Amino acid sequence: MFNDLDPILHSQLRLSIVSILMTVDKANFSFIKESTKAAAGNISIQISKLQEAGYIKVEKTFRNNYPNTSVSITSKGRKAFEDYVNDLKQYINPRK
Amino acid sequence: MDKTTLTPEESLLLIAKTIDETKKRFEENGHIIILWGILTFTVFLSQYILVLMGLYKVFDIIWTTILFPLGAIYTFIYVRKNVKKKNLPKTIIARIIGTMGWAIGANLMILGFIFRHQLGQAIAPVFLILLALLIIITGTSIKFKPLIIGGVLLNLIGLGTFFLNMDYHGLSMMLGSVVGLIIPGILLNKAKKEHV
Repeated sequence: MFNDLDPILHSQLRLSIVSILMTVDKANFSFIKESTKAAAGNISIQISKLQEAGYIKVEKTFRNNYPNTSVSITSKGRKAFEDYVNDLKQYINPRK
Repeated sequence: MDKTTLTPEESLLLIAKTIDETKKRFEENGHIIILWGILTFTVFLSQYILVLMGLYKVFDIIWTTILFPLGAIYTFIYVRKNVKKKNLPKTIIARIIGTMGWAIGANLMILGFIFRHQLGQAIAPVFLILLALLIIITGTSIKFKPLIIGGVLLNLIGLGTFFLNMDYHGLSMMLGSVVGLIIPGILLNKAKKEHV
């Protein structure tokens, strides 16, 4: 039997954002925008969805008088990502 | 980028690609490694020449007050500027390499400035071995074989230097800086340019 893939992570942009956050301690909005090459509005929506699921933590601060949004992965998000990757492996190699 | 339906293969490919591209943005381009290689080579070549000319004491002034501290200041400014320019967040690997670099660099300077007489003939081998550890760790962290090989060779040169007469320690340092820093640094720089 296959586990259902996590619908929060099974979306291209959300998966990209979480993959970036698995590599760094914390990333700001512009770094995510540069890395994913997605539209700012779309990134905001996906970040909100990930935050609602408790997978990421969003911090809004000011840097040199400009708003700065930084995002980091939570332990729940890390666990969800690991489970998601394991589920993917099951789909690709069902015998393992 | 708003595709919502992915096959498992596409998902895994996307994860691997994103993580790989994010990691590559943090990779050292070899500039700092080459700089320290040339700096070390220049300092010990100057020492060798000064010893031959009978002006050995002048070497202390060059080493302690000019070249190495200048290199440390340049490295600090370069790293800060690079992180700001590329808008880079912190990664665990970058933090480990950075902290190791400053810790080993500071210890090498303290050993060279303060404990050189206590260390005596061991100063050059200790210098080379500590430097080799930093190069091996950096190479392993960014998975760059020439840097790992350079670090291992540097380590062996360091150990071999214990068997040499102190007159040849400067030559060991020069050889070590070419094998362990300059050549791997140039190869890393070339690999980085090819990737871009």
